[in-house]
Amino acid sequence: MKVWRLFAVVTAGGAAAALTPVLLRRLGQLRYDRGLAALRLLVRGGARYAGSAPRLFVTAGEQRQLLREDLALQTAEDVADTLGAMKGVMMKIGQMASYVDDGLSPAVRRTLARLQDSVPPMSPQLAAAVVAEELGAPPERAFARWDPQPIAAASIGQVHRAVTLDGRAVAVKVQYPGIAETIAADLGNVALLRRMLRIAAPAQDIDALLTELRERVLEEVDYRREASNQSLLAGYYDGHPTIHIPRVISELSTRRMVTSELSGGSRFAALASWSQQERDLAAETIYRFVFRSLYEARAFNGDPHPGNYLFHGDGRVTFLDFGLVKHFTQAELQPLLQMARTVCVEHDPEAFRRGLENAGFLRPHAPLSTQAIVEHLAVFYDTIREPGPLTITGDYASSVVRRFFDVHSPVAEYISVPRSYVLLQRINLGLFAVLGELTATADWRAIAEEIWPFTRGPASTPMGEAEAAWRTRRQAIAA
Amino acid sequence: MTADQYAAATGLIARSAAGYVSGVPEDAADDGFFGPASVTWRVSTDLAAPVAGLRSLLMQALHPLAMAGVDRHSGWRRDPVGRLAATSAYLAAITFGERAAASAVAARVRGIHGHVRGTDAVTGRRYAASDPALLLWVHTTLVQSSLAAGWAFGAPLSAQDSDRYVAEMRVAAELVGVPRPLVPASVADLERYVASVQPELRCTLAAAESMGYLLDPPGLEEDVAGFWRDVRDAAIAVLPDWAREMYGYGLPPPLTPRRRTAIRQSLGILDVMVLGEPGVLEARQRIAQRMRAGQPA
Repeated sequence: MKVWRLFAVVTAGGAAAALTPVLLRRLGQLRYDRGLAALRLLVRGGARYAGSAPRLFVTAGEQRQLLREDLALQTAEDVADTLGAMKGVMMKIGQMASYVDDGLSPAVRRTLARLQDSVPPMSPQLAAAVVAEELGAPPERAFARWDPQPIAAASIGQVHRAVTLDGRAVAVKVQYPGIAETIAADLGNVALLRRMLRIAAPAQDIDALLTELRERVLEEVDYRREASNQSLLAGYYDGHPTIHIPRVISELSTRRMVTSELSGGSRFAALASWSQQERDLAAETIYRFVFRSLYEARAFNGDPHPGNYLFHGDGRVTFLDFGLVKHFTQAELQPLLQMARTVCVEHDPEAFRRGLENAGFLRPHAPLSTQAIVEHLAVFYDTIREPGPLTITGDYASSVVRRFFDVHSPVAEYISVPRSYVLLQRINLGLFAVLGELTATADWRAIAEEIWPFTRGPASTPMGEAEAAWRTRRQAIAA
Repeated sequence: MTADQYAAATGLIARSAAGYVSGVPEDAADDGFFGPASVTWRVSTDLAAPVAGLRSLLMQALHPLAMAGVDRHSGWRRDPVGRLAATSAYLAAITFGERAAASAVAARVRGIHGHVRGTDAVTGRRYAASDPALLLWVHTTLVQSSLAAGWAFGAPLSAQDSDRYVAEMRVAAELVGVPRPLVPASVADLERYVASVQPELRCTLAAAESMGYLLDPPGLEEDVAGFWRDVRDAAIAVLPDWAREMYGYGLPPPLTPRRRTAIRQSLGILDVMVLGEPGVLEARQRIAQRMRAGQPA
């Protein structure tokens, strides 16, 4: 669970650093306050979050193609009209922050959802034209079967069902033509972005946040990156008992298209009617996926969004959408591991503090007692400090979010989030919210010990045993 | 009177958006006075529409008698946002509403105008809101501002479509009581008309205060003002030089392609905020759907 802490740490600084959430929050706030002229929108104020337990985020946009096929975008100019003028950028940022449920005011959430819903799908002809440009052949020839009606909306594209020439059922994500260029151009307005960020996070290193945001968004609009991330993780989890990642069909994937195996399964919303035991198993898989990926594949999917999971029962989960994956170096992971070890295992607050300082989370020589620092950040480690079963509730997830946005603590001003870790904040905000929504119970500490490289604990659950067997097979194959 | 007698501009976006939504019918029985194939619908849905609105207010306020009518009778100072929201609702109803609905709101406005009359303290001239000359000024500046803002920041109209737009909009002037023969029917007519009124224009104290309020609502934070400045400068940038000089505004930065893009980006952000208001997305989709259906295949 150090992961949590990582986030936690990140989080603590997060009031300032959660660039995207803050941005949105700020925007929402404006709208919330709806002050003066339209301008008032950006009025400054304290963070606003609902006190209630995190709800499932609205998976904005999922229905949009169902809603407005009659308004389908027919040309690249339609795309530019719809998603130009910063709208595509705001949508990407909104998507990045959309899981930050409680960190956003209802008004902001609504606005982001509306923005996504306002984007119609591509007409069948426009989508086919993109495929033809990418593959050099129209979809009817590049595939054995091609469904011209999209089955889902992606943030800047849409998903079509198809069957490959060699008979595999696939999902093909097709990007809106011209959107990559539009977003790149809008991200070029550094002055405007910086202005928004400065309003949102006046004390932070705006340039670091801005750089991270721009890089991540630019990566996301190149689907080749997504295909390679997905291939990497699909390869890593090959044969895993409960974690499934659809394989990418590389020869049918390009800058604006990514083709992968089609998956069935139930949506997150369906879990509400599943037994608590099933929900716990699903949560355990999600948890293992996040931390195995981080500590072993050194990759973090920055989009821990319920809309990206498909559930098959017995804890089996398919993970989708690898557009926003952050890769870490061993050196970047070390401080995170050290903080987890010092605070959860060794119970050495001073060493924990040094770890924070060395990683850049805490300003050195801050006039704070180490105890105050630990107390401030402890909430992020609550699930993994002690062994034993523990239920993650919506209230707990809310308290994490509240701490995340707590700018009033005397500790907050000395904490910031180094650029490399900005994306990890999503764990605090996204993963906890998902687990809280499931009211999931597990011995999170024991699972963390299985995963922590400095403990390598024994399997603590049946799933852990199956996973251990998988790891043994993996190593045997590798050897 | 001083500027601080204005009520705070709370709720401008929400209330203006609500006004707009109220004017867009659910299941229109007819296409109203313009229709989905009109240039007017295209102009009204353009990203540059807020700049057009701001510019037209700046122009309208320079007519001392038009300004006096607004300043003394409309509750403008007491509830500026309400006044703007009412205008937003009116324009949406006239543009997108069914004929009966558009005629009804126009009749109501004519009724209100009938009670707005007096003597302007500055010029000593009598004014009446029902005076076709004043109504024509208000109408023409709106049309001209839409063209100017669209040209600079929106989807520019061809010369032919610009003329079509001016001609289409004549019915809006008629609806509030301007005899059709008085209303410019082409861009050239329109420019001649504006030039003919120019000698009557001046920046009165009421105009300076009203526009000062609108462009820089009191209490706006510095960094927020920075964001807003793009939109505000956009309106000022597309004013005629003489109008800008009357107000004493400095020359805005030249409208380089980069600057236009930056302003469009700010307009896009504002537009998203409007989009978040209840009913706006649905209203826009109703309009878009009808425009799509009205397109030649």
